[in-house]
Amino acid sequence: MSSGVAHSHATGWRAALFRHETVLFLVLVGEWLYFNAVGVNFSTLDNTYDILRHSVEIGLLALAMTPVILTGGIDLSVGSLLGLCAILFGKLWRDAHFTPLEAGACTVVIGALAGGLNAALITELRLPPLIVTLGTYSLYRGLAEAITRGADTFTNFPSSFLFLGQGRWLGMPAQAPVFLLALAGIWVLVHRTTFGRSFRAIGYSPEGARYAGIPVERRIALTYILTGLVSGVAAILYTARLGQARADAGTGYELYAITAVVLGGTSIFGGVGSVHGTLFGIAAIAVLDNGLVHAFMPREAAGVLTGVLLLIALTGSVAPKLWRRRQPKAPPLKSP
Amino acid sequence: MSRYFREWSVAGALLALLVVLAVFARDFYQGQPLLSLATSETPTLVVAIGMALVIICREIDISVGSLFSVCAVCAGLLATAHVPLALALLGSVVTGAILGAFNGVLVAGLRLPSIVVTLATMVTWREGLNWWRQGEFVYLPNGLQWFGLSQVGGQWTLVAAALLLLVLFAVALRRIAAGRFLYAVGTDAEAARLAGIRPQAVKFWAFVLMGAFTGLAAVMNLVQSPQIDPKSGTGLELKVIAAVVVGGVAINGGRGNLWGAFSGVLLLACISPALVHLHIEAYWEKAIQGAIILLAVVADGVRARRARH
Repeated sequence: MSSGVAHSHATGWRAALFRHETVLFLVLVGEWLYFNAVGVNFSTLDNTYDILRHSVEIGLLALAMTPVILTGGIDLSVGSLLGLCAILFGKLWRDAHFTPLEAGACTVVIGALAGGLNAALITELRLPPLIVTLGTYSLYRGLAEAITRGADTFTNFPSSFLFLGQGRWLGMPAQAPVFLLALAGIWVLVHRTTFGRSFRAIGYSPEGARYAGIPVERRIALTYILTGLVSGVAAILYTARLGQARADAGTGYELYAITAVVLGGTSIFGGVGSVHGTLFGIAAIAVLDNGLVHAFMPREAAGVLTGVLLLIALTGSVAPKLWRRRQPKAPPLKSP
Repeated sequence: MSRYFREWSVAGALLALLVVLAVFARDFYQGQPLLSLATSETPTLVVAIGMALVIICREIDISVGSLFSVCAVCAGLLATAHVPLALALLGSVVTGAILGAFNGVLVAGLRLPSIVVTLATMVTWREGLNWWRQGEFVYLPNGLQWFGLSQVGGQWTLVAAALLLLVLFAVALRRIAAGRFLYAVGTDAEAARLAGIRPQAVKFWAFVLMGAFTGLAAVMNLVQSPQIDPKSGTGLELKVIAAVVVGGVAINGGRGNLWGAFSGVLLLACISPALVHLHIEAYWEKAIQGAIILLAVVADGVRARRARH
């Protein structure tokens, strides 16, 4: 094992080439070149912006999901929470006569509180995140449906608010700065602060992290509050982009977000992964989704290919281990 | 008593709900609607049996919804080609078993985390099915519904079949070595290996059974209606996992039994008709379902915490 590490250090560029993020980036470039050759109007600036606009909400969820999965957790409730937040935003604006700004601020706070409920159950009672967030997945969506009685939708938002989802700012989609800000913030948090490094330490070994003096529970709680908060932000962008808030907003987004994170090379067991990997993961899915439409392929092909890509990425991540297991043990080198 | 506290408390909650219904909504206890409710839940119960096996050996399968749809469409197409129902059933079960084996190979053979593997296969099969069928319904030939029996006869057949399967597997899980292997692997795979069990083989067969049960459930659903919606399995995985977990099967493996899972299925199944009979708006169903899941796990957590202190 130690010789393997030394080996990978000796040929650093080679290790870098086979790193998950690099491979994924090459896949992304390959996708782009392919659709550029096959598709119509694919590699235009307009279409690039279109891809960006349509992937911002799932992208935000995936970015926030990265620290959660790095600590070895999971959050299935983000899609439902997006729906609940969208409804509450609409409710606050239409029925409580808040301005969109006030309603938005409240929505983000509500999102953080809902994430806090997940956090409290997971860290205080030490319950498995999978089941807690499965419960809140059902609860938040159910509340959204109960509040709207399954039929009420919120529309006719002021155009100044819709600008956030449909307008352009400095030439780029107006929601792009929000995404870039979140990307920069979460990247710096995870990769450039000791605070964020502790996420990976916890995912690698919670007990070890505890002995190293990391307040494990508090850090884990923070990751779930972050996903809740970001779900609130994503709900606002979603509402602004589509011009309406409905109880079924964001259905299935949790699975897309998790797919993007795992495709990006973050281990579902925690401890290993990166935010830029997640970014490539989101981009790979979004480009595939959009490119196939421009290449006149059915939309379902994108889903199938995303699933297959995920399976290949997973298999690829264990292939070296399997290969090593197959190899007969080499005789020890003779010392000179 | 304390060992099966969870199972008893779920059964108690179910009993309490039934008593509330008996007092406030006598209409609930009418033979035919009750039988129809039981019949419509038989596919869920059958899938839940498989899910309990998978969760007991510390894995999870979230692709069952997609598997269910694929099996239903396959069985439906076989039936429209005028293949006898028995063969269509076999086809569906085999399709399910093969797809389950695919999950099993990836999880047990390559040792990939089951939640991600089945997430990937869920998306792949679902979208593949949409691509193939374009959302088209399969219209079944006449005479297939209720196995060609009367409605009541068909309903009793389905309920009896599901209960038989439940009893069979509940006993097997407790009495047969293969059943105990699941608990051993779920509790500590390494210890199980040292005791001479092959954990990966146990997991593989759990996934195969899960797939086969899903195929069976798809046919049990098929005989209840004149057509098949290719989206019929959407969301089934979470419904089933919720029922199993509420029933006291620990998501960390090694704990729980099918009687608990059965109570969980019944409890969640009763919510929607209970809301109707108690004149509560049906939109609350999902929220109440979520609250029940949380309540069940919180009860677990509080008990565990008290045990720690």
